[in-house]
This record gives sequence, structure tokens and C-alpha cells, in this order.
Amino acid sequence: MIRSLLVANRGEIAVRIIRAARELGIRTVAVYSEPDRMAPHVQEADAAVLLGPAPSSESYLRVDRILEAARSMDVEAVHPGYGFLAERAHFAKAVSDAGLIFVGPDAGTIDAMGDKTAARRRMKDAGVPIVPGLVDAVRDSAEAAAAAEEIGYPVLLKAAAGGGGKGMRVVEDAAALPRAFDAAQREALAAFGDDSVYLERYLDGPRHIEIQLLGDSHSNVVHLGERECSIQRRHQKLVEEAPSPVLTPELRKAMGEAAVRAAKAVDYVGAGTAEFLYQDGDFFFLEMNTRIQVEHPVTELITGVDLVAWQLRVASGERLPWSQEQITLTGHAIECRITSEDPDQGFLPSTGVITHLEIPAGPGVRWDGGVQEGYEVSLHYDPLLAKLIVYAPTRIEAIDRMARALDELVVVGVETSATFHKRVMAEKDFRDGQLTIRYVEEHPDLLEPAVDEEALAAAAVTAALLEDRHRRARQAPRIGTTGHGMSAWRRGARPGAWS
Amino acid sequence: MKYFVTLRDREFEVDVTADGVRVDGSPVHADLATLAGTAVHHLLLDGVSHRVVSTRQASGHWDLHLAGGLLRAEAVDERTRAIREITNYSAGPAGPTPITAPMPGLVVKVEVAPGDAVEAGQGVVIVEAMKMENELKAKAAAIVAAVHVSPGDTVEKDQVLIDFESPEAANVTGDRDAESGE
Repeated sequence: MIRSLLVANRGEIAVRIIRAARELGIRTVAVYSEPDRMAPHVQEADAAVLLGPAPSSESYLRVDRILEAARSMDVEAVHPGYGFLAERAHFAKAVSDAGLIFVGPDAGTIDAMGDKTAARRRMKDAGVPIVPGLVDAVRDSAEAAAAAEEIGYPVLLKAAAGGGGKGMRVVEDAAALPRAFDAAQREALAAFGDDSVYLERYLDGPRHIEIQLLGDSHSNVVHLGERECSIQRRHQKLVEEAPSPVLTPELRKAMGEAAVRAAKAVDYVGAGTAEFLYQDGDFFFLEMNTRIQVEHPVTELITGVDLVAWQLRVASGERLPWSQEQITLTGHAIECRITSEDPDQGFLPSTGVITHLEIPAGPGVRWDGGVQEGYEVSLHYDPLLAKLIVYAPTRIEAIDRMARALDELVVVGVETSATFHKRVMAEKDFRDGQLTIRYVEEHPDLLEPAVDEEALAAAAVTAALLEDRHRRARQAPRIGTTGHGMSAWRRGARPGAWS
Repeated sequence: MKYFVTLRDREFEVDVTADGVRVDGSPVHADLATLAGTAVHHLLLDGVSHRVVSTRQASGHWDLHLAGGLLRAEAVDERTRAIREITNYSAGPAGPTPITAPMPGLVVKVEVAPGDAVEAGQGVVIVEAMKMENELKAKAAAIVAAVHVSPGDTVEKDQVLIDFESPEAANVTGDRDAESGE
């Protein structure tokens, strides 16, 4: 087993990795940007090294600085987390060239899967069904228009270099194509430094279902069942669950086997995810993510497998101890991504200092967070504050448990997505498992502020009493007020207590 | 003291006296307790439990976090309210709501020019923040009066990006300026 690890990331995933490492007795080194000096991952790690100023390009994306930190702290391995450098082949290569272990697949595999068009070709060759569309990037909007005519509208424009919804645009008709193409190129360039865009057919009501994979360096690959991540907005996942409410054991087996085939086709080592679109019993390969996913905890809860710990074990050369048959799914898990975005303002990013934070607890509740009171949410990094995850024997119990946990959550200082999540937990189609990746568009009322009359009246009374108390405190004489044991306001709230 | 509390476009009259609390004229039993040294309160309103975390924003402005989420309340006394009515405080400036930056970011694209007619819901400017493009939309049909930014500009939160003029004078928005306080 490796004995020391540099975590080349920040936020909740850095904390998650540090926790797994500590349980395995691995010394951890955090890296951080200037504003992250007091970030939780820096406080949690055994050691920490400053990378540079706030912008990612000057800190968390600086390969040279990260390798220098690894050398100076004498670590054996580097875990990239997700985002930042996690799926950059040049980083994996630089790490191994420096004589360190990269926790993840090698540069060749990342390259093979990172180029989405190349991955599609490869999957097609491996006999894995793919979404009808192009296997090559298009050069300009005229070429895109010609391809779109052939595939049939609506089409989906996607960045060849990336994922996470950046650079993605759904185009309903030919008139909308030129503008969408420009926007997709711009976003792709800004996010990935590569403006290559390709097209595929846009299915009208598919579900997003993905298979978790784990491979070791002894040619073993198993899948750990599926996650359903259909609740998305602009291709950003908002709610994930495992298992999917629609997969039969037969379909799970078929998709799992296709995913394992895909992984074996690239000699996959480590944790990875094969993403599929699923509609009416058919599934189509979308892309393979060669990293730990944000939503990995739901799989951990239903399989009992600590995926991050196994990333570290596999990177140390350990063998996976299970055959496929020994992987079993028990119960149901749901994750809500708590982001600093305001659902009542079209999910606009919200910034500020978290002045008060109450974290849900109790049976079956897990909080993978990267924030604490006093933490400043800035625009420099991803808006994901934390993941709230619940586990229960059945899906409906898990939903009710999530609703309860969301009620316990209090974040003061920034707006969060939690209000949206609460509405989803109460929404009929979600409760019935009737999902498509267009769920959010199809339920616009979930983005409307709900008005609870009782809460409004309670808030009005509270505001009046607080204002009254505030004014009295300001007016109260400074001398002679001690000894009453009760503020003027408190007495005021008791009928007849003062005159 | 009588307070007029506005939240979510609703106004409540809350009378706080030695004899108790009245909401819109009806007596209620209200007991607000506070966890010492914190912003955590607990209101028993006619025996029903409400947990509230408060922050005071400006004079009379309270942000209240209840189980249902954040509610922004403003409590003013009778005198302040009367003065506001006389000075027509709540009437905003004439003309449709301008487009302001909802967060700090980078202007990626301006989709209109002065003199353009826009429809309600039409995208007029794209601002990038947290690596995502956000298209800002006109709230009502209007004519573009002025464009204050161009692509590549960095903008601050609440900075005015685009001003509109109304096709007809009737299109006057309400109490937009309520924030300016007492």
C-alpha cells in the first residue's frame, strides 16, 4: 500500500479523498490556492502546499507546481479527484514520468476516452451501442448544419474535449444552429482550451443511466451496478440515485457487460464510469469518464464498496477481491448536489460568506462537504458546496429521508439549490420514478418559489418581533438594565409583564 | 408598536404591545426564544413550532431562514410607512426594469443594440460566471435605450448592463427601489 498521497484538488472531493487515505493509514498532502488557505481540505490534510493565486490556471491547473509540491513533500502517489486535471492525459503522464503513482488510468487510456469522438469510434468497434451521430468533430456551422440534416433534428452539439455540460447545446431546428454552434465553440474553448464540437441525435425522452466500473492492474474489471442521474439542468446533474427505478436485472446485466467490455477494450485500471442514455429498453453509450464521479457515494452505499479506498488500493497494485457475482446491490441511495446557485433565479450563481451552517444528521444520512462556517463562496471555483446523500431500504423511504434531511439543512450567506431539491422530493413524477433527462424542463413549477402561508405569517411575526427587540435594545438605557434577568424585549413578549 | 412587514409581495400588519401580538388585527400567541449568542430563534406561534435563523441586512430588513427556505422581510413602523406613502416612495423610476448583472462575471455577447425592440423573455446579453454562460432576458416588451457594456467587459454584481424605454408610458414597474431603506 502506498504510504503518502498528494491530493491535487479542492472542495468536497479533496476532503473525501483525504478521509479515505486516513482510514488506510496514508499520509496526505493538500495543495491550495491563496484564497483557499483556510479551506477544509487544507485543514484536514497532514500537510499542505501553496500553489498560487486564485485562478485555477495559476493554481490547481499548474502541473509544474503540483509536481514540485509532491517532490518537496516526498509523496508516492497523486490523486487528481474530478475536474481540474483529473482527465488530462498530460498530467497523468507527467506524474508517472516523475516516478510517482497516478491514481487513475494511465495517460493512454485517458487519451483514448477523453476525446469523445475517438471514444465513440472505439465503443462502436467494441460492439457497444452508441447514440446515432458523428464520430468526428465538425469544423464550422455549415458543416454542422449539413450533418444535422443527415442525423435529423433535434441534434445535440457537444464539446469533443470535455464533459460536465460545458459546450453542450440542444438545437431544435436549422434556424437555431448557427448561434448555438458559436456558443458551443466558445464554451468548449473557454472550458477545455479546444473548440472542437461534434453532433449526435438528441433522443426525446431518455434517462441518464451510468455504470460504475472498477478495474485492477491484473486485468480484472467488475461493474458495481448503475446510477440514474436523469435530473439535470443544462446537462449538470442535480439529483442522482442508485439503483435506477427502471432497470430490470436483465437490463442491468446487459448494460454492465457492455460497460465492462468497453473498459476491457482500453485495459482499464481504477474507477471509471460508462455513461449511457436509456430509452424504452434500449441503451446507447455516451462517454466514459476516467475518474471518480461526483455521485460515487450512492454506489458506495448500495454496494458497501468504498470506491475511493479501492482507487488507492488498486493504484497500490492490489487485486480486486470480488467476482462479478459477489457484487450485490442492497437498498436505495439518493444524492442531492447542494450548490451555491439560486433555483428561484434560474440557478444563477450566488456568492458570499457562509455565516451559519447546520448539517443534517441522523439515520441513513451522509454529508460529503467542502465548506464550513466562515467559508467564502467565490466565483473562482465550481459551485458545488457539498453532497447530501441518504440511504434507506427502499426508494420511497430514501426520498422521505432526503426530504427530512433537507429540512434540517440550513445554509446562511449564499443561496443554495436545496429549495429545488425539496420540491423534487415532493413531486409526484419523481416519487413515481417517472424520469427523463428533460425532467426539469418538464416541471417548470419546480423553479417557482413555493409560498407556504403558514411560514409567511411566522416569518412576518418573527421579523416584527426581531425589529422590535432591535429597537428596544438600541433605546434601552445602558445603566440599570442588569439584574432583571430578562431583556426588555423578552418582557415585552409576555402579556402584562411590563408597563 | 405597530409594524408593517413586507415579504414575498405580501404585507402583514403585526402589532407588538404589552398585551401581546396581533397579526392583521387578530390576536395570536407568539413566543420567540433565542439561543444565546446565536442567530438561531424558535417561534411558537399559537403553539406551532417554527425554527428561524435570522440575519439583519439593513435597517428594518431581515433575512429569515425557515424550513421552506429564505424569506426576505422588511419591517417598518406606521410613521415610516405613512411618510413613504406621502412621498410616493414605492414608485420606481419610469420605464421597464433594466438588465443588471446578477453576479460578477464576464460579458460574452450582447445580442441587442439601442433602438431594438425586444419581447418579454428575449435573451439580450450573455454573461459568463463559474464557467457557465448565463443568458439574461428582458422582463417585458420594451425598446433598448442604452447598452452599457460590450463583450469582454468584466461586470460587478448589480451593475446595469442594458437600459430600456417603454413603448408606452403605462409600463411602469413597482417598488424596485424599496432597498434604499428609511
